[in-house]
Amino acid sequence: MTAADRSALAHQVTLLELVDRVLNKGVVLSGDITLSVADVDLVYVGLRVLLSSVATLEGQNERVLAGRALP
Amino acid sequence: MIHVYGVVDELRELPPLEGVDGAPLERRCVDELELVVSNRPGVDVTQDAVLRHAAVVEELMSRSRGVLPAQFGPPFGDEDDFATAIRTKADELSRGLSRVRGCVEFGLRIAQPTNRPEAASGSEYMRARLEQERVLARIEEPLANLSRATSSNRDYLVPTENVAAFRRAVEHLQADHPELTIVCTGPWPPYSFGADGA
Repeated sequence: MTAADRSALAHQVTLLELVDRVLNKGVVLSGDITLSVADVDLVYVGLRVLLSSVATLEGQNERVLAGRALP
Repeated sequence: MIHVYGVVDELRELPPLEGVDGAPLERRCVDELELVVSNRPGVDVTQDAVLRHAAVVEELMSRSRGVLPAQFGPPFGDEDDFATAIRTKADELSRGLSRVRGCVEFGLRIAQPTNRPEAASGSEYMRARLEQERVLARIEEPLANLSRATSSNRDYLVPTENVAAFRRAVEHLQADHPELTIVCTGPWPPYSFGADGA
């Protein structure tokens, strides 16, 4: 993996991690968000796009990022 | 309705940001706890809302002694609902705030050359996976030593005075293990360490 690839990967992982933290972590005060509310699909579509571009970057050998799977 | 960003400790000033949905940020005190909130007309979870929530929490970090970030949750219907919920959790929130005060969070994600070990049988596969995990645990030890707490998800709660050493330790790990792709993200507000037992 080149330095540029690594940097692109780091950028995409960062975005993923941000959304994961805000939606799935943090102290729960008012319960979980209802996943049926409008526009939530947008967030998860965004996540899927990011995930697939990370997968592309990682090549064809079925590498998977270690760590907890995102929803 | 009331959207909550987090519990703060000695917040000097509200950040010059609009909250989710463009409403101004406001302070609330519930007993001994200080929180930052904004009014929300709706409940939509848009990318914009998520990113604004994150931006507010980020800005609170640099303006207070400690921030316990709230999960992006549904807004409270009114002030009474909000205050009741906070009072119910007051002890847990105080403990959480003490735990994360003075710390930031880093996340470590490690891609191995092959996450699927070659194996002739299921048990052999499981042994190979276990060995991979052992290797990872061993290389992460120097990072854990610089952290106040770690999570099973490879998140590290790092006191601010250890941040530079933590980054150097990650660089050393990457240099020592060129076969791994190590991505370290942060510093984050301590989202992953607010709950008891985290």
